Amino acid sequence: MHELIGLFIQLGIVGGMVLLGLLAGRYTERKHLCSLERREADLQGMIVSNLKCFPGGAQSTPVPALIVGEASIASDYLKTLLAALRNLVGGEVRSFESLQMRARREATLRVMEQAHAQGFNAIGNLRLETADIAGNITTNQKRKMVVVSVIASATAYAL
Amino acid sequence: MIVVNTETIPGHTITMVKGMVQGNTVRAKHAGRDIAAGFKNLVGGELKGYTELLTDSRREALERMLAQAEQLGADAVVNVRFSTSAVTAGAAELYAYGTAVNVQADVAPPEIPTT
Repeated sequence: MHELIGLFIQLGIVGGMVLLGLLAGRYTERKHLCSLERREADLQGMIVSNLKCFPGGAQSTPVPALIVGEASIASDYLKTLLAALRNLVGGEVRSFESLQMRARREATLRVMEQAHAQGFNAIGNLRLETADIAGNITTNQKRKMVVVSVIASATAYAL
Repeated sequence: MIVVNTETIPGHTITMVKGMVQGNTVRAKHAGRDIAAGFKNLVGGELKGYTELLTDSRREALERMLAQAEQLGADAVVNVRFSTSAVTAGAAELYAYGTAVNVQADVAPPEIPTT
Protein backbone atom coordinates (compact mmCIF):
# COMPACT_ATOMS: atom_id res chain seq x y z
CA MET A 1 0.00 0.00 0.00
CA HIS A 2 2.75 2.38 1.01
CA GLU A 3 4.63 1.57 -2.17
CA LEU A 4 1.54 2.35 -4.21
CA ILE A 5 1.15 5.74 -2.54
CA GLY A 6 4.82 6.45 -3.13
CA LEU A 7 4.41 5.55 -6.79
CA PHE A 8 1.44 7.85 -7.12
CA ILE A 9 3.34 10.70 -5.52
CA GLN A 10 6.24 10.15 -7.87
CA LEU A 11 3.94 10.02 -10.87
CA GLY A 12 2.28 13.19 -9.61
CA ILE A 13 5.61 15.00 -9.40
CA VAL A 14 6.60 13.95 -12.91
CA GLY A 15 3.12 14.81 -14.22
CA GLY A 16 3.31 18.21 -12.52
CA MET A 17 6.68 18.92 -14.08
CA VAL A 18 5.43 17.88 -17.53
CA LEU A 19 2.46 20.20 -17.07
CA LEU A 20 4.77 22.98 -15.92
CA GLY A 21 6.97 22.38 -18.94
CA LEU A 22 3.95 22.34 -21.22
CA LEU A 23 2.43 25.55 -19.91
CA ALA A 24 5.44 27.60 -18.87
CA GLY A 25 7.69 26.21 -21.62
CA ARG A 26 5.20 26.98 -24.37
CA TYR A 27 4.64 30.41 -22.91
CA THR A 28 8.34 31.31 -22.68
CA GLU A 29 8.98 29.95 -26.16
CA ARG A 30 6.11 31.87 -27.70
CA LYS A 31 7.14 35.03 -25.88
CA HIS A 32 10.71 34.62 -27.05
CA LEU A 33 9.68 34.00 -30.66
CA CYS A 34 7.43 37.06 -30.57
CA SER A 35 10.25 39.21 -29.22
CA LEU A 36 12.62 37.83 -31.87
CA GLU A 37 10.16 38.63 -34.67
CA ARG A 38 9.57 42.11 -33.36
CA ARG A 39 13.25 42.96 -32.95
CA GLU A 40 14.13 41.45 -36.30
CA ALA A 41 11.44 43.58 -37.91
CA ASP A 42 12.87 46.66 -36.18
CA LEU A 43 16.27 46.01 -37.75
CA GLN A 44 14.93 45.02 -41.15
CA GLY A 45 17.15 47.50 -43.00
CA MET A 46 20.32 45.89 -41.67
CA ILE A 47 22.08 43.52 -44.05
CA VAL A 48 23.41 40.41 -42.36
CA SER A 49 25.84 38.22 -44.26
CA ASN A 50 28.76 35.89 -43.77
CA LEU A 51 30.73 37.40 -46.64
CA LYS A 52 34.42 37.76 -45.95
CA CYS A 53 34.78 40.79 -48.17
CA PHE A 54 31.77 43.02 -47.87
CA PRO A 55 31.20 44.93 -51.14
CA GLY A 56 31.65 48.62 -50.50
CA GLY A 57 33.07 47.98 -47.03
CA ALA A 58 36.09 50.16 -47.79
CA GLN A 59 33.90 53.25 -47.66
CA SER A 60 32.75 52.42 -44.15
CA THR A 61 33.04 55.22 -41.62
CA PRO A 62 33.57 54.50 -38.76
CA VAL A 63 36.18 51.83 -39.45
CA PRO A 64 34.71 48.28 -39.48
CA ALA A 65 34.67 46.74 -36.01
CA LEU A 66 34.30 43.37 -34.34
CA ILE A 67 30.95 42.83 -32.64
CA VAL A 68 30.20 39.83 -30.43
CA GLY A 69 26.93 38.66 -28.93
CA GLU A 70 26.03 35.73 -26.70
CA ALA A 71 22.89 33.91 -25.69
CA SER A 72 22.16 30.80 -23.70
CA ILE A 73 18.71 29.32 -23.80
CA ALA A 74 17.48 26.55 -21.54
CA SER A 75 15.18 23.73 -22.51
CA ASP A 76 11.99 23.04 -20.56
CA TYR A 77 10.98 19.77 -18.95
CA LEU A 78 8.60 18.77 -21.71
CA LYS A 79 11.11 19.34 -24.49
CA THR A 80 13.72 17.31 -22.63
CA LEU A 81 11.22 14.50 -22.04
CA LEU A 82 10.14 14.50 -25.69
CA ALA A 83 13.77 14.27 -26.75
CA ALA A 84 14.34 11.35 -24.37
CA LEU A 85 11.32 9.56 -25.83
CA ARG A 86 12.52 10.30 -29.35
CA ASN A 87 15.80 8.72 -28.39
CA LEU A 88 14.06 5.37 -28.02
CA VAL A 89 12.85 5.22 -31.60
CA GLY A 90 15.28 7.60 -33.25
CA GLY A 91 14.53 10.34 -35.75
CA GLU A 92 14.20 14.07 -35.82
CA VAL A 93 14.11 15.88 -32.47
CA ARG A 94 11.89 18.83 -33.34
CA SER A 95 11.76 20.23 -29.82
CA PHE A 96 15.50 20.80 -29.75
CA GLU A 97 15.68 22.13 -33.28
CA SER A 98 13.60 25.14 -32.30
CA LEU A 99 15.73 25.58 -29.18
CA GLN A 100 18.95 25.74 -31.21
CA MET A 101 17.47 28.17 -33.69
CA ARG A 102 16.16 30.42 -30.92
CA ALA A 103 19.62 30.64 -29.37
CA ARG A 104 21.22 31.40 -32.74
CA ARG A 105 18.64 34.03 -33.63
CA GLU A 106 19.00 35.66 -30.22
CA ALA A 107 22.80 35.82 -30.45
CA THR A 108 22.64 37.18 -34.01
CA LEU A 109 20.09 39.77 -32.96
CA ARG A 110 22.31 40.91 -30.13
CA VAL A 111 25.13 41.43 -32.61
CA MET A 112 22.76 43.38 -34.87
CA GLU A 113 21.49 45.52 -32.01
CA GLN A 114 24.99 46.32 -30.79
CA ALA A 115 26.11 47.17 -34.32
CA HIS A 116 23.07 49.39 -34.77
CA ALA A 117 23.78 51.16 -31.46
CA GLN A 118 27.34 51.86 -32.61
CA GLY A 119 26.16 53.41 -35.86
CA PHE A 120 26.74 50.50 -38.23
CA ASN A 121 24.16 49.27 -40.71
CA ALA A 122 25.60 46.12 -42.26
CA ILE A 123 27.14 42.93 -40.94
CA GLY A 124 29.69 40.73 -42.65
CA ASN A 125 31.48 37.51 -41.80
CA LEU A 126 28.95 36.41 -39.19
CA ARG A 127 30.16 33.32 -37.33
CA LEU A 128 28.13 31.24 -34.95
CA GLU A 129 29.77 29.00 -32.42
CA THR A 130 28.18 26.86 -29.74
CA ALA A 131 29.58 26.39 -26.26
CA ASP A 132 29.01 23.70 -23.66
CA ILE A 133 28.60 25.72 -20.47
CA ALA A 134 26.33 23.23 -18.79
CA GLY A 135 29.25 20.80 -18.98
CA ASN A 136 27.32 17.97 -20.60
CA ILE A 137 30.34 16.54 -22.37
CA THR A 138 32.56 16.29 -19.33
CA THR A 139 30.11 15.38 -16.58
CA ASN A 140 28.80 11.90 -16.13
CA GLN A 141 25.95 12.90 -13.86
CA LYS A 142 22.59 11.41 -14.69
CA ARG A 143 20.55 14.57 -14.88
CA LYS A 144 22.06 16.64 -17.62
CA MET A 145 21.02 20.19 -18.17
CA VAL A 146 19.94 21.07 -21.66
CA VAL A 147 21.29 24.52 -22.39
CA VAL A 148 22.17 25.90 -25.80
CA SER A 149 24.84 28.59 -25.66
CA VAL A 150 25.81 30.45 -28.79
CA ILE A 151 28.50 33.02 -29.44
CA ALA A 152 28.03 35.09 -32.57
CA SER A 153 30.86 37.23 -33.88
CA ALA A 154 30.84 39.51 -36.89
CA THR A 155 32.41 42.52 -38.49
CA ALA A 156 30.12 45.53 -38.71
CA TYR A 157 30.19 48.11 -41.49
CA ALA A 158 28.56 51.45 -42.03
CA LEU A 159 27.73 51.78 -45.69
CA MET B 1 43.15 49.31 -32.17
CA ILE B 2 41.04 48.03 -35.06
CA VAL B 3 39.64 44.57 -34.41
CA VAL B 4 37.74 42.65 -37.08
CA ASN B 5 37.00 39.03 -37.86
CA THR B 6 37.66 39.39 -41.57
CA GLU B 7 41.01 38.69 -43.16
CA THR B 8 41.43 42.25 -44.34
CA ILE B 9 40.18 45.60 -43.17
CA PRO B 10 38.28 47.31 -45.95
CA GLY B 11 39.85 50.66 -46.72
CA HIS B 12 43.15 49.69 -45.11
CA THR B 13 46.24 47.89 -46.31
CA ILE B 14 48.17 45.51 -44.11
CA THR B 15 51.76 46.68 -44.07
CA MET B 16 53.24 44.14 -41.69
CA VAL B 17 52.14 40.89 -40.07
CA LYS B 18 53.24 40.76 -36.45
CA GLY B 19 52.11 37.22 -35.72
CA MET B 20 49.29 35.38 -34.05
CA VAL B 21 47.96 36.69 -30.77
CA GLN B 22 45.72 34.79 -28.42
CA GLY B 23 43.91 35.04 -25.15
CA ASN B 24 42.06 32.47 -23.15
CA THR B 25 40.16 32.16 -19.92
CA VAL B 26 38.80 29.16 -18.07
CA ARG B 27 35.79 30.01 -15.96
CA ALA B 28 33.73 28.01 -13.55
CA LYS B 29 30.11 28.76 -12.84
CA HIS B 30 29.19 28.88 -9.20
CA ALA B 31 26.81 26.48 -7.55
CA GLY B 32 24.12 29.09 -6.99
CA ARG B 33 23.84 29.64 -10.71
CA ASP B 34 23.60 25.90 -11.22
CA ILE B 35 20.60 25.67 -8.93
CA ALA B 36 18.89 28.56 -10.69
CA ALA B 37 19.69 26.92 -14.01
CA GLY B 38 18.17 23.66 -12.78
CA PHE B 39 14.88 25.42 -12.13
CA LYS B 40 15.03 27.22 -15.45
CA ASN B 41 15.45 23.84 -17.10
CA LEU B 42 11.88 22.98 -16.11
CA VAL B 43 10.22 26.03 -17.59
CA GLY B 44 12.62 26.98 -20.36
CA GLY B 45 13.83 30.44 -21.29
CA GLU B 46 17.06 32.35 -21.23
CA LEU B 47 19.68 31.65 -18.59
CA LYS B 48 20.84 35.19 -17.90
CA GLY B 49 23.57 34.00 -15.55
CA TYR B 50 25.11 31.79 -18.20
CA THR B 51 24.90 34.47 -20.86
CA GLU B 52 26.63 36.86 -18.48
CA LEU B 53 29.31 34.28 -17.80
CA LEU B 54 29.92 33.94 -21.54
CA THR B 55 30.06 37.70 -22.02
CA ASP B 56 32.53 38.15 -19.17
CA SER B 57 34.75 35.32 -20.39
CA ARG B 58 34.71 36.62 -23.94
CA ARG B 59 35.68 40.12 -22.76
CA GLU B 60 38.52 38.71 -20.68
CA ALA B 61 39.84 36.53 -23.51
CA LEU B 62 39.64 39.43 -25.97
CA GLU B 63 41.40 41.75 -23.54
CA ARG B 64 44.24 39.28 -23.09
CA MET B 65 44.52 38.91 -26.83
CA LEU B 66 44.59 42.70 -27.30
CA ALA B 67 47.24 43.07 -24.60
CA GLN B 68 49.45 40.69 -26.55
CA ALA B 69 48.82 42.61 -29.75
CA GLU B 70 49.75 45.86 -28.04
CA GLN B 71 52.95 44.32 -26.75
CA LEU B 72 53.86 43.40 -30.31
CA GLY B 73 53.29 46.97 -31.37
CA ALA B 74 50.39 46.12 -33.65
CA ASP B 75 47.65 48.58 -34.44
CA ALA B 76 45.04 46.09 -35.62
CA VAL B 77 43.99 42.49 -35.12
CA VAL B 78 42.40 40.71 -38.07
CA ASN B 79 40.71 37.34 -38.54
CA VAL B 80 39.65 37.08 -34.90
CA ARG B 81 38.02 33.75 -34.02
CA PHE B 82 36.41 32.40 -30.89
CA SER B 83 36.51 28.85 -29.74
CA THR B 84 35.19 27.11 -26.67
CA SER B 85 36.09 23.87 -25.03
CA ALA B 86 34.88 21.97 -22.00
CA VAL B 87 37.70 21.41 -19.56
CA THR B 88 36.04 19.66 -16.65
CA ALA B 89 32.64 19.49 -15.01
CA GLY B 90 31.43 23.03 -14.45
CA ALA B 91 34.32 24.80 -16.11
CA ALA B 92 34.67 25.89 -19.71
CA GLU B 93 37.34 27.61 -21.69
CA LEU B 94 36.83 30.51 -24.03
CA TYR B 95 39.66 31.11 -26.43
CA ALA B 96 40.09 34.10 -28.74
CA TYR B 97 42.77 34.27 -31.37
CA GLY B 98 43.67 36.46 -34.29
CA THR B 99 46.54 37.90 -36.29
CA ALA B 100 48.18 41.10 -35.12
CA VAL B 101 49.08 43.43 -37.98
CA ASN B 102 50.11 46.94 -38.79
CA VAL B 103 47.81 48.74 -41.16
CA GLN B 104 47.77 51.89 -43.21
CA ALA B 105 44.61 53.67 -44.27
CA ASP B 106 44.21 53.73 -48.04
CA VAL B 107 44.22 57.05 -49.76
CA ALA B 108 40.75 57.60 -51.16
CA PRO B 109 40.72 57.22 -54.95
CA PRO B 110 40.17 60.50 -56.75
CA GLU B 111 36.56 61.00 -57.55
CA ILE B 112 35.63 60.85 -61.21
CA PRO B 113 33.67 63.95 -62.04
CA THR B 114 30.33 63.17 -63.58
CA THR B 115 29.36 65.30 -66.50
